[in-house]
Amino acid sequence: MSKYETVVGLEVHMQINTKSKVFCECSTQFGAEPNANTCVVCTSQPGAIPILNKKAVEAIVKTGLALGFTINKQCTFARKQYFYPDVPKNYQITQSEPPLCSKGKLTINVDGKEKLINITRIHLEEDAGKLVHEIGSRKLDYSLLDLNRASVGLMELVTEPELSSPQEALSFLTELKNIVEYLCTSECNMEEGKMRCDVNVSIRPVGQKGLGTRVEIKNMNSISGVRDAIAYEVERQTEVLESGGKLIQETRLWEAEEGITKSMRTKEGALDYRYFPEPDLVPFDLPDSFIEDLRKQLPELPKVKKKRFINDYGLSEYDADYLTSTRMIADYYEETLEALQDKKAAAKPVANWISTELNAKLNASKIDISESPVSSKNLAKLVSLILSGAISGKIAKTVFEEMYEKSLDPETIVKEKGLAQISDESAIMKICDEAIAESPKAVAEFKAGKERAIGAIVGLVMKKSKGQANPQIVNKILLEKLKA
Amino acid sequence: MNEILKMKVKELKTKICSDEIKSEDAVKACFEHIRKAEPKVKAFLKLNEDHSLKQAEEVDNKLKSGAKCGLLEGVPIGIKDNIMVKGESMTSASKYLENYVSPYDATVIEKLKDAGAIFVGRTNMDEFAMGGSTETSAYQKTANPWDIERIPGGSSGGSAAAVASGMVPFALGSDTGGSIRQPAGFCGIVGYKPSYGLISRYGACALASSFDQIGTFAKDVTDAALLTSVIAGKDYRDPVCEPNEWIDYTNDIDNPDILKTLKIGVPKQLFDYKIDSEIAKYFNDAVNKIKLEGAEVVEIDVPAYKYVPALYKVIMCAEVSANIATFDGIRYGYRSPNGINLNDEYAKSRAESLGYEVKKRILFGTYVLGAKNYHRCYHQAQKVRTLLINQIIDAYKKCDFIFSPATLQMPVKFGEILPEECDIFLIAANLAGLPGITVPCSFTSTGMPMGVHFMGARFSDAKLFKVARSFEKISGFDTSKYPVL
Repeated sequence: MSKYETVVGLEVHMQINTKSKVFCECSTQFGAEPNANTCVVCTSQPGAIPILNKKAVEAIVKTGLALGFTINKQCTFARKQYFYPDVPKNYQITQSEPPLCSKGKLTINVDGKEKLINITRIHLEEDAGKLVHEIGSRKLDYSLLDLNRASVGLMELVTEPELSSPQEALSFLTELKNIVEYLCTSECNMEEGKMRCDVNVSIRPVGQKGLGTRVEIKNMNSISGVRDAIAYEVERQTEVLESGGKLIQETRLWEAEEGITKSMRTKEGALDYRYFPEPDLVPFDLPDSFIEDLRKQLPELPKVKKKRFINDYGLSEYDADYLTSTRMIADYYEETLEALQDKKAAAKPVANWISTELNAKLNASKIDISESPVSSKNLAKLVSLILSGAISGKIAKTVFEEMYEKSLDPETIVKEKGLAQISDESAIMKICDEAIAESPKAVAEFKAGKERAIGAIVGLVMKKSKGQANPQIVNKILLEKLKA
Repeated sequence: MNEILKMKVKELKTKICSDEIKSEDAVKACFEHIRKAEPKVKAFLKLNEDHSLKQAEEVDNKLKSGAKCGLLEGVPIGIKDNIMVKGESMTSASKYLENYVSPYDATVIEKLKDAGAIFVGRTNMDEFAMGGSTETSAYQKTANPWDIERIPGGSSGGSAAAVASGMVPFALGSDTGGSIRQPAGFCGIVGYKPSYGLISRYGACALASSFDQIGTFAKDVTDAALLTSVIAGKDYRDPVCEPNEWIDYTNDIDNPDILKTLKIGVPKQLFDYKIDSEIAKYFNDAVNKIKLEGAEVVEIDVPAYKYVPALYKVIMCAEVSANIATFDGIRYGYRSPNGINLNDEYAKSRAESLGYEVKKRILFGTYVLGAKNYHRCYHQAQKVRTLLINQIIDAYKKCDFIFSPATLQMPVKFGEILPEECDIFLIAANLAGLPGITVPCSFTSTGMPMGVHFMGARFSDAKLFKVARSFEKISGFDTSKYPVL
C-alpha cells in the first residue's frame, strides 16, 4: 500500500454538436478545406461582432440538466485575453462568473464500487483555430493558420478534485462521454479533437488534509491516454517526493509515444488573462420556459435505460450493460425489437446477436453500429426466422455472414441458397432411416444403454440434410425409432 | 459655392428625383468645392471622384427609366474612415490598416446603398478614433474650416470639417466619448449620437464596444434626422442593437409647441468647471431663449459628473486594449519584417504601426484589467458608472432633457491640449447609453461657432430631434453661412 494518495481533477472540453459556430453563422463541419468555414466574425475582421448561437446554449443547459446541475439563468460572457495566432481576436469569448451550470454530479463505477463525483461547473466558450507546422512529413519553416475550428462552440466541464485513481478518471470520462452521446450535445470524439481533457494531478501523504502541489497535464488524445498520463504522473511525483525532492506547480505535456510527461511551463510563466465582461454580448436571463422545455426534451439516460432493459426485457445485468453502453447500440437494440412480433421471446436472442456476432463483426471492420451493414430491420427478420423454426441457429450464423458481407435481407439469402430448415417429419424420417442403417456401431451402443451415442447419429442426419433438418424433430424421430 | 451644396438634403433629393437637378451635377459640385477647400481643410483621407460620378450617372439613368427613388437618391455623403465599405480601403487613420480592404459592408453602408446615397470619400479621424482633435491620424491633420490654425475636434474631425465647409451635405461619424458631438460643436454644425443600440455597430471598427455608436453630421437638425432615419433600426448582426420599429425621425420635427411642454434640466455641476466666458454667455442666452419659448428650465444635480473623465478613461481603455489586440500582424494589416519570433513579431508589428495615443491607451487598459488592478480600477469604474446612470435617471424625474454647452472651451490651435473636462457633458451620454445632439448656437467674437448639447433619456431620440430643431429655429444661428476658404 502506497503511503501517498492521488488527487485528480478534470477539465473536459467538448465541442458542441451544432450545425453552425457559437458566435457566427459558419459551418462546424469537420474536415473541410482549410479556412473554408470562416467569415468576417471568426477571422476577426474590423467591425465584426459576435452573435450568440441559441442552440449552443441549449446544448449546455441540456447537458447540465442531465448531470443534475443548477442552471444559472443569468447568461453572461467574458473576454479571456492572450495572444496566440489561433485566437484571431487575441481573446477568447468564454464565461467567467456565473457559468451556465453550477454544481452537478456523476456517479462512476470502479471495480463494482460506486462513487459520486461532484462537478464544479459547465460553461460555454469558443474554440481556437489550428496552427499547422508541417505538411505530411515535411516540416515547414513557417506556420499555416486554419480557422475552421475558430469559434466552434465548446462546453468546458470542470470537476472537483475528487477522483483518486487513473481508473476513476477513466471511468468518469467513459461515463460522461456516454451520457453526452445520449444527449447528442457533443460527438465527444477525442481523436477528432471534439473532446479534450486536461488533468490536474497531485499526491499527498495518506491522511493529510491539504492538497499537494498540483501539476496540470495536457495533450492526451484518448481516454486511455488520460488514464496512462495520470498513472505516469503519480509515479513520477511519488519518485520525486521519495527521493527527497520538491514538486513544482507546472503544466506538463503528455507524450503518448514515449509514455511520459514533459514540463511545458511553470507557474511563474502563468498568464494573467485579464478577464472582463464581454461588452458585445449583452447579459440576458434564460426564461424558465426555455429551461423547462429542455428538461422535457431530455432523453432516457443510460442508467435508467439499463434498469428498464432488465425489467422489461428480462435481460441480464451484463447484457443490459453492454446494450446501453452507447445510445447507438441501445437504439439499434430497441429498433430491432420494435420490428418483431413477440418481443418477450425475442429480447434475449436479439441481445445475444448484437453483443456477440454483430459486435465481433463491427469490431473487426472498425465501424460503429450506426453504419452496420446489417440493419436493425434485417436482424429482426433473422431472429424471426429462427424463432419460427424456419432456419436453425447454426444456419442462421451462415445467413448472418452473408447479410453482413452483402447487406442483404435474410429471407433472400435463405431462399437463394435453399437454407430453410426441414421440419417435414416424413422427409426427416427418411434421412433418419438412412443414418441408422449407416451407423450400426452407434445403434448398438445406444441399445446397450449408452444414450450419448445418439449424438453421432444426429450428427450424421444433420450432415446429410446439410444442416437444414430441424434438430428437435431429428431427436424426437431418432429416439422413437431406436427405442422401438 | 454652388447653390446645390447649400440645399437641404431633402430638397436636393426631391430635385434629383424629379430630374430638376442631376445627381451627376450634385457630385460634380461637391468635387469642385472639394478641390477648392480641401487643400486647406484636409478633411478627406480618400476621395472617390471617378466612382462617385459613375454612381451618379447610374442614378440619373435609373431615374430616367422610372425607377423608384430612394430616401437619399443621388445625394453625396462623406463616410468616416472607420466604417466598412466593401471593396474599399478602411484605414481608421492608422498605419496598421494602410493597405486593408474591407471584405464587407457595414449595416449602415448597406442601408445607405439601398437609399441611393453616393459615397464621395473617406473622412479623416483620430487613429482608431482615439483622440479629440483628429491630430492622432497617422496620415494628416484636418483643420477647422472656421480657423485653419485650429483643430476641428475629433475623433470624427474629418466628417465635421467636410460638412462645415460645405464639401458634402452630410456625413457619418462614430461617437465613443463625444467624437461626433464635440467636433460638431467646434465646427458649427449638427452632430448626433443615438441611444446605444439604436444604430447597428456592425462594420464600424470597434473602439470601446460598450460606448461606440455610429451617428450623423449635417448642417441642420432635419438633415441629421433624415440621415438617421435611413441608417437606424434593428440588425441581428449586432446583439446590442434593439429591435425597435422603423421611425421617420423627420416626422413632425417642426412641431412648434414642443418646448412649451418640456422641462429642460441644466446640471448644477456645470458651474464647477472653468468655462470659456463667451461660451458661458451664449449658453446663458440660449437658456433664456428656451424659457421664452415656454420651456421650464430646472437645475438638476448629478454629483457623479465629476467622475466622468476617470471612469470613462478606465472603461474605454480596458475595452480598447482587448479590441485593438486583434491587430497583431498575423491575418491582415501591417506586419513588421523585423520579427525574430512570434512574440517579437507581435511587438514589432504593433510598435512600428500604432501611434502614441493608441499605445498609451492599450497600456493603460492592460493595466486596469490586470489581476492585481481589476477590482480597484475596472470594477470600481463600472460601479461608478452605475452610480452615474442612476443619478441621471433620477435627474430625468425632474426634467425631460439635459442641456449644456457642447464643449466648455473653444477649439485650440494645433498642438495645444484641451482640458479633460472640456466635453464631460457629452461623454456622460456614452457612459449612460443616452442620445445626445449638438446644435450650433452662436458665433463668438472671433467668428468661431459654439454649440449647445441636448441629452435625452434612452430611446427618446425622436423627441430629441424635435427639441433640437425647436432650438435651431430660435438660436439665431445662421445655418446657411459657410466659412470662407
